[in-house]
Amino acid sequence: MTAPSTNDVIDTVLGLDRFPDLQALREQRAKLKHLSQTSYQAALRPAEARNFSYALRAALAARMAALWKSQELAAHFRELLESEEGGSALVSIANPGNGAEGADTRLVAILAHVDLVTLSPKEATRANIEKLTAAGLDDRDIVTLAGLIAFVNYQVLVVAGLKMLRDN
Amino acid sequence: MSQPVHEFTIEPLDWKPYVKSVDVETATVEQLDALKITPSNKKISDYVLVLANEPETLKERTPLFNDIMYSEGGLSRGGREIGALAASFVNHCIYCASVHAARYIQLERRPEVVDEIYDRGLDANLPEFEQALFNFGVDLTAHPDNVGAYQFYHLREIGLDDLQIIDLIHAVAIFGWANRLMHTLGEPHRLD
Repeated sequence: MTAPSTNDVIDTVLGLDRFPDLQALREQRAKLKHLSQTSYQAALRPAEARNFSYALRAALAARMAALWKSQELAAHFRELLESEEGGSALVSIANPGNGAEGADTRLVAILAHVDLVTLSPKEATRANIEKLTAAGLDDRDIVTLAGLIAFVNYQVLVVAGLKMLRDN
Repeated sequence: MSQPVHEFTIEPLDWKPYVKSVDVETATVEQLDALKITPSNKKISDYVLVLANEPETLKERTPLFNDIMYSEGGLSRGGREIGALAASFVNHCIYCASVHAARYIQLERRPEVVDEIYDRGLDANLPEFEQALFNFGVDLTAHPDNVGAYQFYHLREIGLDDLQIIDLIHAVAIFGWANRLMHTLGEPHRLD
């Protein structure tokens, strides 16, 4: 069971404490707001990190947010990354301008998949999953990675839509 | 052995994963707990059994999806399905599109709206209300970094209030999630 979080990430990154009308609107959909936050916990800080350290999850999330130029979320995930154990070693991959020079085969494959499925999911095929398998990811790892990518992209879209409501 | 389907089709489809799904017989307590809250009146789909590899995520995702698509009030259920369809067309999730095209028709009894989307894809020429929902879904999915006043005023022009707009945002966004699972972890097949 994920503990209810007192800090809602989406409210925080959009500074909604200064926009009470939009905050109240989100409360009209309190259940989905809460489940969006518990989904964040499950994707970024699950009970067991297993083969994706919290730092790696945060770094990949920061990279995806930056790929979509979601500055608020990218800044949030970079901050999260810096707070995670081993985070400083992964700062470079949070920047989508950086490839995986010197990285191991597994990380190279993960970054390629993250970039493809974030920006061009329609291009993904069975061959992309086979590349992950060849790089040493098992079936559960592949579902973990897909779930992280899918969640962060959801959050990017929600933040983009709410920002439209906030600013108009 | 059926062939995978690579073109949009409105016919009902099967979905076959590229990775192993969880076997209910050998599932962990946590996996069974996460599976319990999916609709239990029918066989658990391969898709959900694949997601059960990550029970902590699945346990949150299932009720989130249901609340976004089926909550009371706000945007009509059919309107949410247009958001789902727009996202699925941009992301080329053939399976998602087939399911949600059928659901839209079932809810709204307007197959001509779906036919036009299937005929012309992202260039679909729809009645004003559906067009605005569809365009917003396409724009938010394809260019989340470029959604602003233009999109907002089009939604206001067809009379959407804030709650209806926030419902549409979530319907499109949850398909940014669902498409990235369904289209990347497996592929659709014609029913045997």
